[in-house]
Amino acid sequence: MREKMNISVNGESRVPPGFRFHPTEEELLQYYLRKKVANDQIDLDVILEVDLNKLEPWDIQERCKIGTTPQNDWYFFSHKDKKYPTGTRTNRATASGFWKATGRDKVIYSSSKRIGMRKTLVFYKGRAPHGQKSDWIMHEYRLDDNTILINNDTHVTRVRSGDFIQEEGWVVCRIFKKKNHLIKSLDSSPINKSNNMALETHTSNMLDSPSDHDHDHDDQGALEQIFQFIGGKPQDISNNDINTTKSSNQQQYDRFLKLPNLESPNNNINLLVGSYYQTMPENDIASITKTEGDPDSVYNSAVGLSGLNDWATFETMASIFSPSSSTDHHHHHHDLDHLPQLKSSSSTSSSGDRIYHPNGGTSTLDNYGGSNEIDLWSFTRSSSSATGSFGIDPLCHVSDSGI
Amino acid sequence: MADNNLPPGFRFYPTDEELVVHFLHRKDGFLPFHPDVIPDLDVYPYNPWELEGKALCEGSKWYYYSRKMQNRVTESGYWQAMEMDEPIMSSSSSSSSRKILGMKNYYVFYLGEPPAGVWTSWIMHEYRLPDSGSTSKSSSRKRGHPKLDYSKWVICKVYEQKNDDDGGDENDTELSCLDEVFLSMDDFDEISLPN
Repeated sequence: MREKMNISVNGESRVPPGFRFHPTEEELLQYYLRKKVANDQIDLDVILEVDLNKLEPWDIQERCKIGTTPQNDWYFFSHKDKKYPTGTRTNRATASGFWKATGRDKVIYSSSKRIGMRKTLVFYKGRAPHGQKSDWIMHEYRLDDNTILINNDTHVTRVRSGDFIQEEGWVVCRIFKKKNHLIKSLDSSPINKSNNMALETHTSNMLDSPSDHDHDHDDQGALEQIFQFIGGKPQDISNNDINTTKSSNQQQYDRFLKLPNLESPNNNINLLVGSYYQTMPENDIASITKTEGDPDSVYNSAVGLSGLNDWATFETMASIFSPSSSTDHHHHHHDLDHLPQLKSSSSTSSSGDRIYHPNGGTSTLDNYGGSNEIDLWSFTRSSSSATGSFGIDPLCHVSDSGI
Repeated sequence: MADNNLPPGFRFYPTDEELVVHFLHRKDGFLPFHPDVIPDLDVYPYNPWELEGKALCEGSKWYYYSRKMQNRVTESGYWQAMEMDEPIMSSSSSSSSRKILGMKNYYVFYLGEPPAGVWTSWIMHEYRLPDSGSTSKSSSRKRGHPKLDYSKWVICKVYEQKNDDDGGDENDTELSCLDEVFLSMDDFDEISLPN
């Protein structure tokens, strides 16, 4: 029943309806970038070369269209060679703004083997240091240094150190616009407008289909990341052998060690909650601090912006702090059994293990230290206080837990 | 399984609108398909885990044609409607010309027999064409009285809701929680991180 589909992306013909370019990070690196670096023929010019200094994000969006299907993200190759005069950093300035790196680079794996890195950048309009942050995000993927050395002879002579090569050569990039889930969700469901806003938003997020990129090692639950931030280190060990896990675990932990300290421990968690969950105007610091002492506002925005994963997070956090209800809770919701991100790795203490299990009534918080415990608690209180309001929908199962 | 000669990275990721316009409308109107990738599975009510190898599978989601039916009962359980109708709007830019192309229903699979079934994490999105003649706004569908129309084709999209993913395929292009944290920290000049 399947027919051959001949497409030509850059010509007249188009990608068949329903199909879109949705590569995994592994495909981007192992197929497209590796071929590009090795100068191999790529079957179709799906990914074009873009001079990052010459095109604004919205120009790239035009130039990197694939077929006529609607796109949420755009892909291109970029050759990193231009530096700022003052140093070794790549010059990513355009006529109207610049791309600024944020966070720490993420390691990309292919069947447990490290193949490359991903850098996240944000587009700012204007000139540093007074740029105005935009919604445009770029993920810049590069192959691991040694593979570039092997595959690209022309660059060997220019390479002095591993640091240097990171700013050299071909990278493959994806740009996309940061989304506001709350607005989008309401927008797409006009019939539901009369209903409870938070509920609708929550369920529609929940009913979105699951992610398909199982090897996306970095897609950790919010809970795990928060625990990592605080000091516990739960880790999904199912993908890797222990050694790999430990090293990547260490790397992830390192980035927290390098996080600058905020003024008070209370700010840490509020920043986490506020920045991740809140619909806030750009650069609006006031809206982060506003959430202090107002758990409900945190919660409401949390429901609006988070998907199922975060819901599960709240649920689990709620169950942690309500040992009496956890049995009943577990009975109704067997799916909590396979929450991989809630299982600790062997590198975590055994008491840490118990915390994340829905049935583990013992809420051992000792290893998180006193101040962090308070932070955790305030975070949880805000989530559990509102869980009772969702008794309408079959999927809003938290209401069963009787918190 | 969405086997094609497209380069790596191309996948069957239809929008709701594409499913309705390019697949459901054409099926309903006996128009030829291009491409013809979604199979008919209306003969036998498969359990969701039996769809592998039968329905079109892409990215842990299964697509197939079925018929609108009152009770979706399988050998091991049944699909329970969630009483949530969502219109599929045309994505036309001017809001005045936006119209309802189809409707989307949500189902959860229960093991056993109603009403005592055990809830599972299998979810179905059922796409159907708009109810002809009825105004879409008055869609207060009463429990247990769905419209019976065995002649109408629907498209079913089935997947297992997992707890360990980040909530949706649209989130693939979304920032992780941690990215958002770093991003907002960039707002504080004094603590912005080095590249």
